[in-house]
Amino acid sequence: MKKRWLTLIAMLFMLSIFVVACSNGDDENGNGNENETDNNNGETEETEGSSDDVEQILKVAADQDPSGLDPHTSTASSSHRIMGKIYEGLITLDENMEFAPRLAADWDIVDETTYVFQLRDDVVFHNGREMTADDVKYSFERILDPETGAIGSSNLSLIEEINVLGDYEVEIKLSQPFAPFLSYLASGANYAIVPKEVVEEHGDLNQNPVGTGPFVFSEMVPDTHVILTKNEDYYLDGQPYLDELHYLTMVDESSRIAAIRTGEVDLTTVTPDSVSLLEGNDELNIISYDDLEYYYLGFNATHEALSDKRVRQAISLAVDREEIIDLVMAGEAKLSGPIPESLGNWSIDVSNHELYQPDIDRAQELLEEAGFGSGFEMQMGVPSTEAALVSAAQLIQQHLELIGIDAEIVQLEWGEYIDAWNSNTYDSLVGKNGPGRDPDRSLNFFFSTTGSANVWEYSNPEFDEIVAEGLVEVDEEKRHEIYTRAQELIIEESPNLFLLMPKSYIVVRGNVDGYNPLPHDSENFRETTIK
Amino acid sequence: MGEFLTKLRKDKIGIVGLIGVLLILVIGILAPVISPHDPTHTFNEHRLESPSSKFIFGTDDLGRDIFSRIIYGARVSLTVGLISVGIGAGFGLLFGLLAGYFKGWVDNVIMRIMDVLFAFPDLLLALAVVAILGPNLTNTMIAIGIVFIPVFTRLVRSTVITVKEMDYVSNAMSVGASNLRIIAKHITPNILAPFLVQVTLALSSAILTEAALSFLGLGIQPPDPSWGSMLNTSRRFMELAPWTAIFPTIFIVVTIFSFNLLGDSLRDLLDPRVKKE
Amino acid sequence: MYKYVIRRVFYTIPVIFGISIVVFVIMNVIPGDITSIILGTEGTPELREQLRENLGLNLPLYQQYWNWISGVVVGDFGESLRTGAPILPEILSRFGLTLELTLLASLIAWVIGIPFGIIAAIYRNTKTDIGLRIVSLFGVSVPNFALATIIILVLSLGFNYFPPVGYTSLFEDPLMNLERLFIPALILGVSMAGSIMRMTRSSSLEVLEQDYVRTARAKGIKEKVVIFRHAFRNALIPVLTMIGMQIGFLLGGTVIVEQIFSLPGLGQYILTGIMQRDLPVVQGSILFVAVIFVTINLLVDILYAYLNPRISYD
Repeated sequence: MKKRWLTLIAMLFMLSIFVVACSNGDDENGNGNENETDNNNGETEETEGSSDDVEQILKVAADQDPSGLDPHTSTASSSHRIMGKIYEGLITLDENMEFAPRLAADWDIVDETTYVFQLRDDVVFHNGREMTADDVKYSFERILDPETGAIGSSNLSLIEEINVLGDYEVEIKLSQPFAPFLSYLASGANYAIVPKEVVEEHGDLNQNPVGTGPFVFSEMVPDTHVILTKNEDYYLDGQPYLDELHYLTMVDESSRIAAIRTGEVDLTTVTPDSVSLLEGNDELNIISYDDLEYYYLGFNATHEALSDKRVRQAISLAVDREEIIDLVMAGEAKLSGPIPESLGNWSIDVSNHELYQPDIDRAQELLEEAGFGSGFEMQMGVPSTEAALVSAAQLIQQHLELIGIDAEIVQLEWGEYIDAWNSNTYDSLVGKNGPGRDPDRSLNFFFSTTGSANVWEYSNPEFDEIVAEGLVEVDEEKRHEIYTRAQELIIEESPNLFLLMPKSYIVVRGNVDGYNPLPHDSENFRETTIK
Repeated sequence: MGEFLTKLRKDKIGIVGLIGVLLILVIGILAPVISPHDPTHTFNEHRLESPSSKFIFGTDDLGRDIFSRIIYGARVSLTVGLISVGIGAGFGLLFGLLAGYFKGWVDNVIMRIMDVLFAFPDLLLALAVVAILGPNLTNTMIAIGIVFIPVFTRLVRSTVITVKEMDYVSNAMSVGASNLRIIAKHITPNILAPFLVQVTLALSSAILTEAALSFLGLGIQPPDPSWGSMLNTSRRFMELAPWTAIFPTIFIVVTIFSFNLLGDSLRDLLDPRVKKE
Repeated sequence: MYKYVIRRVFYTIPVIFGISIVVFVIMNVIPGDITSIILGTEGTPELREQLRENLGLNLPLYQQYWNWISGVVVGDFGESLRTGAPILPEILSRFGLTLELTLLASLIAWVIGIPFGIIAAIYRNTKTDIGLRIVSLFGVSVPNFALATIIILVLSLGFNYFPPVGYTSLFEDPLMNLERLFIPALILGVSMAGSIMRMTRSSSLEVLEQDYVRTARAKGIKEKVVIFRHAFRNALIPVLTMIGMQIGFLLGGTVIVEQIFSLPGLGQYILTGIMQRDLPVVQGSILFVAVIFVTINLLVDILYAYLNPRISYD
């Protein structure tokens, strides 16, 4: 008997050794990378003689693991926060949402369809090769190639010609005037300049990101961390100040809060409800900024009742947005139209709009006019992963009950939510959308008859005309007037209800210096240091 | 039966468990009578309020009365527990008896299918089933029930095999008693004890699995209150408003506790060998 | 006996084949699609179509299955659709963590559960028994995510402590590794210990009532010897089955604890895979877990046969 037991134990033991040995092989590889990183640090300290002895490593708690890191095909925000450090586009936006130089030192709008970019002559990719005009041409061609499946392809589809005029000069010709062109180029990693040889070597950049940005990709261990290191050859003097940037994946918010309290991490995002827990803590600073997104309640335009404008207006009058802000966002959010305030002066003030003032009697009247006085039933899909949206949906359900509408909440997993969004399978959805960086993106994209994100099958010829005008109008002031009209019309028509613009909260340890999040660039660590 | 009740009366642990289970059952059945407020009504002015005379367990993040939600939640949790275990135990008993008794190809086919089901990590299997069918009360119960089928099948089968080897059963078989008679007379009473222990374990595990599904965002749909989803939502407020988490936890613990106590003592009472003493 | 073992091993082949088909079918009927996840609200129909083409999702299902399974057989589990990272190395490294967590948790559970179960059975219906049962039940009754949240709160607020972030392998830094895994393992172990204890107690009770134990007692053999020589060994049989189940349960049941403590384990990998509809990731890892699980159960079954001489092997 004894012998048999021993045999069994020995077998189990061997199995576990085998498995651990296999897994250990990987860890060793990971280790190799870390060691290299350490060496780099050593050199840095010697050459620059860093001002103080504090390790310049910023540890950020990330709520989600990044997907792939190919800038042209990745959309996940968890990927973008990392890609934003590795890759750069030709131009960017400054703190006033104005265009600012990046890889292009300067640019000319020669005529309505011709743009000429003067590139910096001191940029090298992380693999050591200099960046030239050919790379710009290659990158845009890669985005336009349908086989790449690039996110930005439709936004650049009007590009007719890309001409390399010199090592550091590129001309782009459009087939027709396209006002939002520069906004798209400035909107981040999806329009980044990438090195051809790396793409060709690996097929894509998902696992082997190489760009021109201030931080260099070092290693990625799924569900654990991503480590970026300082780009020693970065073209802006002294930037970045940090030696390393660690993104530690921590899915659970209570863990992130515990970790920022104990100093395991230096920076994390938190939900509005957790803010009050951390407010009294002297070691922590809480930074808030308006999010570049809004919560919406969207209606299926093919639904019998919801296709009627009066029904949608009635719902707008029944939904108490201020209550949602108070209960779900702890009072810390603002009312929003289709363009939230965070997008700068494009947005219009909606707080006094008639349809934003709860009025049950008027709502009831509208429903009766539309022939739905006795109410109706509808489903309301909501992504289950977003606690605040689920709570908002429950309040909306209560509000709608007051006018006899019976809304059934269906929680959808994120994938199902996106599917529902794409295929218009639910009567209504509660969710959140980003308005992009340009009003064309905020309006045309979501609500014009042919808009690629008009998933509601909503159609209004008058609106289509207005946004078509905006697309070709290059004059800022006239565009402004056009999009104001478009917003007013969309609020009046209410194909979606715009519920609120949330605030984002970032908690940083007191020793983190030189960090100011902006709505469109919440993680600019170029000048951040650890005290 | 009379003997059984007399014994039960003597077993203090069993009584405590029974009282606990009955209490939760009564709370669930009488929910509309007991609960002071509508469990889904949001009191705007009373967000995350601590326990008071108006809201004896306090209110949650949307200003709903936690006491009323727990009372109604008892219904949901008990329904989930009983029906999903019913599904699992029912099919498990059937398959297990067939497999263990007839052996041969019946056993092989059943057990291979069970092996396939059993090899899936159970929470993930439940998650996948809910994801396919869509999250709601019925599908949650079906998903959890499916997870239990192989557990019960294996248990019943292995007990049947052991019992079948016992002398008195072999004797009955050699005397030529009918299959049905042997199953009813000899085998079923013998597997009752381990089966009941497993049922009580499964009941508690069903309630916990529902809670885990809620934790992963695929449990019972709001605004219906289930203890699992209440507990999950309240995790965010555990520090800010501990009462939102404490009361659902207490009720989950007490319920599972009672089921287990009852199961334990039933096991002792129903065991034919113990009775002989 | 050897025939029995060979036959049992042979049976696992259709089971593993069945699992591969079931997991493939499940992942293909779940609503939601990886292209939606990858593209999010940015996706146009053309982009989605292109992506499906690039990922090979436009092939007929039987061909997709064939491509996948023929790779798996030779050890090529493919690449994640979402990140492009190869799957097998990922599974192995994560399995190392989950296995360690599982074994640690099981160890804690056995160390608590088995002795207490036997003690409770010996001192049946005394205060000791009742006390042990009540304590063990509390472990079973608390949902482990609630327990985890409470522990995190108490440690971080009361002791300004949080387990180190990020996983370190046991061979790299054993102390760090154990520090990282101890609390998660404790949480899992405590809830498992209750079940083990209850099962040990009931089966010990059953065995203590068996004729051969009574005979042994009647023969005047010392109580201790009776318990350990005769009762204990036989009482372990159902407990073994239970342990087999529990390890399987843990392989999947670690998901929640992995998520809360940010541990890159296999459960987390599968869960993210399901949520993101990353087909080859889920298919590969579930198949892997299933094979491990089937193997463990095979061993348990064989052991069961060894330990229980009354079972005929045919």
